[in-house]
Amino acid sequence: MATCGEILVKLMEAYGIECAFGIPGTHTIELYRGLPQTNIRHVTPRHEQGAGFMADGYARLTGKPAACMTVSGPGALNIATAMGQALQDSVPMLVISADNNTFEKGLGEGRLHETRNLQAAMAECSVWSHTLARADELPKVMARAFAIFNSERPGPVHISMPLNVTTSNADHVPMDLWAIPSRPAAAPAQLQQAADLLNESQRPVIALGGGAADAAEWVRALAEKLDAPVSLTHNAKGILPVDHSLHVDTSPSYQPVRDLYLDADVVLGIGTEFSESDYDFFFNGEFALGGKLIRIDIDATQLTRNVRPDIAIRADAQLATEALLPLINESRRNGSQRTAQVKELLAPLNHPGYQAFLDAFQVALPGAAVIGDSTQPAYFGAAQYHAPAPRRFASAATGYGTLGYALPAAFGAKLAKPDLPVISLIGDGGLQFTINELSTAIEAKISVAVVVWNNERYEMIAQNFVDAGMEPIACDIYTPNFLKIAEGYGCPAHRAESIEHLIELLRQAQKVDVPTIIEVREQDFIQA
Amino acid sequence: MVENSKAVASCGEALVKLLEAYGVDTVFGIPGVHTLELYRGLPSSNVRHVLTRHEQGAGFMADGYARVSGKPGVAFVITGPGLTNISTAIGQAYSDSIPMLVISSVNETNTLGKGWGRLHETKNQRAITEPLTAFSATAYRAEDIPDLIARAFAVFNSERPRPVHLEIPMDVLASPVAYDWSNELRIARSRPQAEPKLISAAADLLKASKRPVIIAGGGALDAAESLLAIAEKLTAPVFTTVAGKGIVSPQHELHGGANLCMSPAWDYLEQADLVLAIGTELADTDMWRDTLPIKGDIIRIDIDARKLNDLYPAKIGILADAMGAAHQLNQAIDSLETKPSVVADVANLKNGILQEQAELQQKHLAVLACVKNHLPAEGFIATDMTQISYTGNYGFESEGTRSWLHPTGFGTLGYGLPAGIGAKIAAPERAGLVLAGDGGFLYTLQELATAVEEIHTPFVVLLWNNDSLGQIRDDMIAMDIPTVGVSPVNPNYTMLAKAFSCQTYKPQSLDELESCLEEAFKYMGVSFIEMHDSSVDIAQ
Repeated sequence: MATCGEILVKLMEAYGIECAFGIPGTHTIELYRGLPQTNIRHVTPRHEQGAGFMADGYARLTGKPAACMTVSGPGALNIATAMGQALQDSVPMLVISADNNTFEKGLGEGRLHETRNLQAAMAECSVWSHTLARADELPKVMARAFAIFNSERPGPVHISMPLNVTTSNADHVPMDLWAIPSRPAAAPAQLQQAADLLNESQRPVIALGGGAADAAEWVRALAEKLDAPVSLTHNAKGILPVDHSLHVDTSPSYQPVRDLYLDADVVLGIGTEFSESDYDFFFNGEFALGGKLIRIDIDATQLTRNVRPDIAIRADAQLATEALLPLINESRRNGSQRTAQVKELLAPLNHPGYQAFLDAFQVALPGAAVIGDSTQPAYFGAAQYHAPAPRRFASAATGYGTLGYALPAAFGAKLAKPDLPVISLIGDGGLQFTINELSTAIEAKISVAVVVWNNERYEMIAQNFVDAGMEPIACDIYTPNFLKIAEGYGCPAHRAESIEHLIELLRQAQKVDVPTIIEVREQDFIQA
Repeated sequence: MVENSKAVASCGEALVKLLEAYGVDTVFGIPGVHTLELYRGLPSSNVRHVLTRHEQGAGFMADGYARVSGKPGVAFVITGPGLTNISTAIGQAYSDSIPMLVISSVNETNTLGKGWGRLHETKNQRAITEPLTAFSATAYRAEDIPDLIARAFAVFNSERPRPVHLEIPMDVLASPVAYDWSNELRIARSRPQAEPKLISAAADLLKASKRPVIIAGGGALDAAESLLAIAEKLTAPVFTTVAGKGIVSPQHELHGGANLCMSPAWDYLEQADLVLAIGTELADTDMWRDTLPIKGDIIRIDIDARKLNDLYPAKIGILADAMGAAHQLNQAIDSLETKPSVVADVANLKNGILQEQAELQQKHLAVLACVKNHLPAEGFIATDMTQISYTGNYGFESEGTRSWLHPTGFGTLGYGLPAGIGAKIAAPERAGLVLAGDGGFLYTLQELATAVEEIHTPFVVLLWNNDSLGQIRDDMIAMDIPTVGVSPVNPNYTMLAKAFSCQTYKPQSLDELESCLEEAFKYMGVSFIEMHDSSVDIAQ
């Protein structure tokens, strides 16, 4: 007999899931029965939040979902934060959690891991949350999950598996996969209107978000034809080559970039939310547009948020850009000069200490992916770090703003791209949230350079306290000895004394099959 | 010093004062951009802030604080990740009826539900906490807060205690108060008392019974005195759940212990003609079977009406606070002749349980016996989800209530260390021990930093290391499932504890464990003892 739990892992494999993260428990044992018969790699994190962040890192680099498997109750709630981060950043992720028997639900009898209504909680952190009632529905449910990952704005999908459903007989369930729906293309009439507006424009600007990550080739051609400067969010970094003359690779929260937007007669926004954590990093509410706005987004409701478009095109970024391209007349619009002007104004705003530090990553390891946490250098990285390609930079400072993301997410990224160097950039406060995952990486032989920015305090919060007219409270914290901790986990650990030393250590970290902790003390790199 | 020139108190400042007026002396949390205004009033209050290293730690600490003190544990968390991080701990507190007040920020009122992608934005935070709390509410105006806090304390004091979540939008937190409500106490302290007719009916049943048994749960912790008197009058053995440990002294001849998961106790219950179940859910997590084989009538006393007729329909169901009802019941019962055979049966039952322990459990019991030898009087033990704790749930005899903390219902890994820290902060004069397994400990080990920062009296972390998720591995083998993901590569725990500045020990035998415990309980700070299961030789 094949159980529903066994066909679930088979379906996961058939849909291309390569990696599953989970901590087995009494309630998920039956999900593990069929796993060894698949080619899915199972990695055991040390906390379910780690499972979620690893799946996130995996998806950021590949665009493909990984799976997470958790027990009901605490296991499911433990992963909620990682799902929240994935939801805010539109990252695909398949979360399977166990649940109590169908016939026990809602009775409140105090069963192990019982939650009054787990799905209600998980729904708030997912695009779609579903409790499976019968094995028969599983193929349809999986089809819908992958329709979301492939054909809509992606995000986490949660499937809750009651124990009695997981163990039920599924021999009769047809295993044919449902067709994956197509992605929406742009309506021709609107596309023509957009092209007309752009062709008539004098000072167009392109705003890119993470939704455009897979449209790099067409976006670049479009920018060159229009001769328009291109501004990017965190999740769009790398879409244009670093040294491209139209590349305004810094945060749109900085005034010179804001002036560029204000001065533009037409802005073309592609796959971007225009949201606070990229466009109003300093919370002053002063981002504004001076001209017309064309927005392209796969999510219809996103087109109604934050900034009002004159033309709103609901479409996949790549399909829309590709279709728009032939409608655009090539014309010179001083794009390079406008870009150069912005860069000149930005130069004095860039912090030289952080610049040298951030530049070291690509100098040491060309092409490396960098996964940042909510930490000072990652905040500066929004403006001053330049990614070598799309899907090579992610940071938890956007959207949900989670601490502890960058360590497990970097491990997930490395699992997705074993041949690519991966760097985790994390602060001393953030690292303590998820430091337990070092064990996972040792066990799974994951080589990541973990750069720990140590200022022995919650620096950002301390600054916020001062700005709000208060003495910082609970910001100067007892900080353990990270080098010794790393040693305790079995990781090589070093303190970088200089940029040159950091570069050397980053390279050295590639030679071992476990994480290397590289502690960087703020005072050694940043002049007070 | 930063100048604070604001004349009018903000909502956040008034809230801290109000909490102080309600008797809150400690909050657990991590400040963030969104909660700054909650922190503004802290320095001028007498409320102690304990900084944790993850919000789940704040939640478990608040839980441990509440279990030891009986007072609600309070946590401050930020919007979004802070709230989802603490949600597991809220779920644990809900399962075990622990009073807890979680105050979080949420994005500005005008942005709620818009999906603009604001920092820390969540679709609907309250929908997440609603299934995990007695209630979850949003304060849309500063002046809503005295009402909502009063309602929270009504839950804590007058009904089945459970966590409460209050979210306050950032604009409301920062807004000036319209009037000073910071001392506006509205305390409902009354608890429901039993209907006298039902008490006399219950007394009649008990007096007429030949072989009554009392089962006391976590809801009956404050009813210990009356329950013991009733037990003595009836010669009725008292079994407790894990949450009820310590209600009867283990030296007492009617102490049946927390043995409801052991077959000799099931046999005994099967012969009982009447069961008085008080302040207990009778949930399967305490029984290790679906339902107990109770053949006789059941009298249930519970503060939660829904518990009176669920898995075990009551012959007489009394909706009442356990302490008051036990007191009334005791007054309605006269002393009966003692039944020496019952006393002998109880002794036999406990012996029988000791005899049937398998080798693994015998190992656990040997370690727990060392702990018992050295734990100072009034000491408490905070336990994690690990096999040695499961053995201790029945096998370790607590001398008093509020001394054995275990995440029974929700069953959360990583509970032990932070819960122990919270308990220690509630009762610094009591020695504390944390009992954690190698898997569970890694869930929340970062809170060792909180422990060394905050604790300067004896606090011992005893790590039971079997290099596996032992229970799950054993289950997989029993169910013919390949052992996937249960035999982890573990760190060098002792080195980790050293890196957190703990005093560390790694005993190689039970004798060495004895001397380590003795030293550790004298050390004014955090000690860490790693005991590997291979170092325990019970053949000695």
